[in-house]
Parts: sequence; C-alpha cells; structure tokens
Amino acid sequence: MRYKDYYSPNSLKEAEQLLKELDGPVTLLAGGTDIMVYAREDDRYQDHHIINIYGLPELQGIELKDDCIRIGAGVTHSEIEQSPIIQKYATVLADGCRTVGSLQIRNHATLAGNICNASPAADSLAPLAVLDAKVEVLRDGEMVLMPLYDVIVKPYRTSLSDRDLVTAVIVRRLPEDEITCFYKLGRRKALAISRMTITYVAHKADDGTVDDFNITAGAIFPRPMTFPDINEKLLGKKPDETILEDVARALGNKIPEITGIRKSTAYKQPVCSNLAARILKEKLLEV
Amino acid sequence: MKKEITFRLNRKDYTIEVDPGARMIDVLRDQLNLRGTKEGCGVGECGACTVVIDGKAVTSCLVSAAQMDGRDIMTVEGLSETEIGSILQKCFIQYGAVQCGYCTPGMLMSAYALLLHNDNPTREEIRDAIAGNLCRCTGYVQILDSIEKARDEYLAKA
Repeated sequence: MRYKDYYSPNSLKEAEQLLKELDGPVTLLAGGTDIMVYAREDDRYQDHHIINIYGLPELQGIELKDDCIRIGAGVTHSEIEQSPIIQKYATVLADGCRTVGSLQIRNHATLAGNICNASPAADSLAPLAVLDAKVEVLRDGEMVLMPLYDVIVKPYRTSLSDRDLVTAVIVRRLPEDEITCFYKLGRRKALAISRMTITYVAHKADDGTVDDFNITAGAIFPRPMTFPDINEKLLGKKPDETILEDVARALGNKIPEITGIRKSTAYKQPVCSNLAARILKEKLLEV
Repeated sequence: MKKEITFRLNRKDYTIEVDPGARMIDVLRDQLNLRGTKEGCGVGECGACTVVIDGKAVTSCLVSAAQMDGRDIMTVEGLSETEIGSILQKCFIQYGAVQCGYCTPGMLMSAYALLLHNDNPTREEIRDAIAGNLCRCTGYVQILDSIEKARDEYLAKA
C-alpha cells in the first residue's frame, strides 16, 4: 500500500488530535478489508495520511440501553453475530452479519467499516435500516447522531468528510418476541456478494394485529431506505394472505420507482415480490 | 516509512521494523521468511493466506502490518508445536486431504481456529469454519473427513 504517512494512535483522543492537526487527505483504517483491496487496484492512497484506528479501546463493546443498543465502531461482524445482546434484541442484525464475506473477513472487518464503505450490497445495511440505525460521528470535537439514510448518500458515497470519525452505531432494541427475518439471495452459499436481500421486523399484539412492522430489501436500492407507505399496509391489521401479498408487491414496485427501469428490473422486481411474499407468509400467517 | 512492532508469533516474541502499511502476508513471507502461508487471490476470497490472530482465523492478505502489533499470531509453521495442530497435520496426511497442497496451510489454520474454541464440532460446523477456504482439487470431502478424524482423536486424548 502506498501512502503519505501512517499513524497508529493509542486512544480516541490521540486520533482526534491527529485529525485536527494533519493537513491533506486522511483515510481512517479499521479492519481494512476493503481498503487493502482498493490499495491493490491503484495508488489512490498515496497522498493520504492513514490513521489506523483498529482496536481503539473506546470503539469496542456492545451496550444494551433502555430502548436501544449501542455498537462500538470497532466491533467486528463476528462479535455482532455472537453477541448475546444482539441475538436477543436485534436478531436480524446478527443474521445479516453472519452472511458477510467469509469467517476470516467477519473476524476482522467492522460494522462501521461496512457502513463507511457504503457498498449497496453490504449485507448489514438492510438489517440496520429496519432497525432505524443511527450513526454516532465525532465531528469537530462533538458527537453528532445521524440517521443511516443521511450517512449513505449513494453507492460507495457517504456524506462524511475525511475528518469525521464514526464512533458507534445505534440500533433499536426490539422486544424479545419480535418476529424477524433476513433472507439472502446469492450465487452460492458462502462468500457470495448478494444479488438481493430481504429483511423485515414485525411484532404482533395480543389480539394478533401487527403493531410494529418495517421491511426493506438490500443490494437493490442506492442507499439503505425503508418505506412507511408499505409498512402502513400491515400496521394495525391481522396478517392474511391478501395483505402480505400486497406488501410484497409494493416492495417489488419500489424497484422501478426508485432505480428506474433497467435491464435487471424484469428479473429483480418479480423475484423481490415473490421472495418477500414467501418469507412474510412463512413467519406471519397463523398456523 | 518504518515502524517498530512487537508481537508473538508461533509462541516466540518478535520485535521488528516494518512498513506499517505493508500486508501482513508480505511481512510473514518476505521479511520473516515464513513461506508456509500462501497467497491465492490477495483479496480475501480464497483463504489460502489464513493465519490465526488472537485465536481467530483471519486472511493475512487483508491485514495491515501495523495491526500485528501486540497480537498473538499463529501460522502454519507453528502448528506442529501445538497439540491440535499436530493432530490435524497427521490426519490431513493420513486421510488424503492434501492434493496439490496450495490450500492446505489455510485449511489447517481455519480448522485449528475452530478446534481451539470448539473441541467437538459437528460436520456442519466444520463446513462453516472452512467455508472461506477454497480447494479446487479434493472436493472438500477428504478435508472434512480429516478434520472430523482429528476432532475425534483430540477428544479421545483430552
């Protein structure tokens, strides 16, 4: 890797100081599983100060709060997958993280890195979207909380500057009896870049009506998004086949609506609707 | 640019100067002359360069040299000194898990990391553990069999 300078600060304070003092472009290196690949392609980092923030103690740990979960920016996909807190209160994120890359990559790559790389096919993004994720950013000495939607603006582009340091990702804490689903469509079982993922969270009240619902698809849209108009179709109702098929169709219809009609639409739109219908019925219809 | 880093490698302590932005696999192979770790794809897809860092399997082509600092590293060269490792190596040979051999060091390291944390994995868990390691010769069956045999032998000893 060609670079201008390389720093390994020992604390968040030191990293912050470096961000303030250095002149010229900065690249923050966490796990580096994307950056090390880009660095092979060309010398795009040759004028950059590299700041290695991997393993900074302030960026570790998963904390359970009253209504949310705070995931440190340095937490790896494997740690999320294995975290009892995530497994219990945000299962869908553990399921998404489990399908990222290979075990070797999940052991090293961080969730915040997955966000900052902003690949539309990143498997963690759809689960984060349905969990109303917010990104905690250290900007000019202050902590700012930004919705994930505002962080990722389009494929491989974020609204963060090179002086912004992501310190944590905050997601909803779901009730223990929340129904969640993450489905991945890839070309093979392991190590596949997603063609499409479909994710939802749903909760049924005692009378069987749905009082919480959020659905989205991954690897389809330019940025992680959710759709209140689709969620409305199910909220307050008892799920039946007609409603679920309507929800699934509406999700598929978002593809041409948002990305425009492309060659792939003929495949993606029906596949998205059919898969969504299948996984919604599987878990939400009374048996 | 050079930076001094200190780490444990195959149960020995090292302090060396490295280019902090170099790839870990290059430090191992070119600087330390440990050429057991192989490079296949260089982008984290094939698993040939798998090493174990702090008990976890990681592809060393994606690790920056500075990130070796302070860590406890095991490569295929250190495996025969460990109980799990030497059983794995013996079983790989005995049950035909090695054909061309290029994926073997990575396979062994992934299997070693699995058995470190789980001394009685199911075949499914073994499959998951080596899902990030490609082998184009064996079709994986002999590798899975060998790891199962190693598991049984290790359990019998413990």
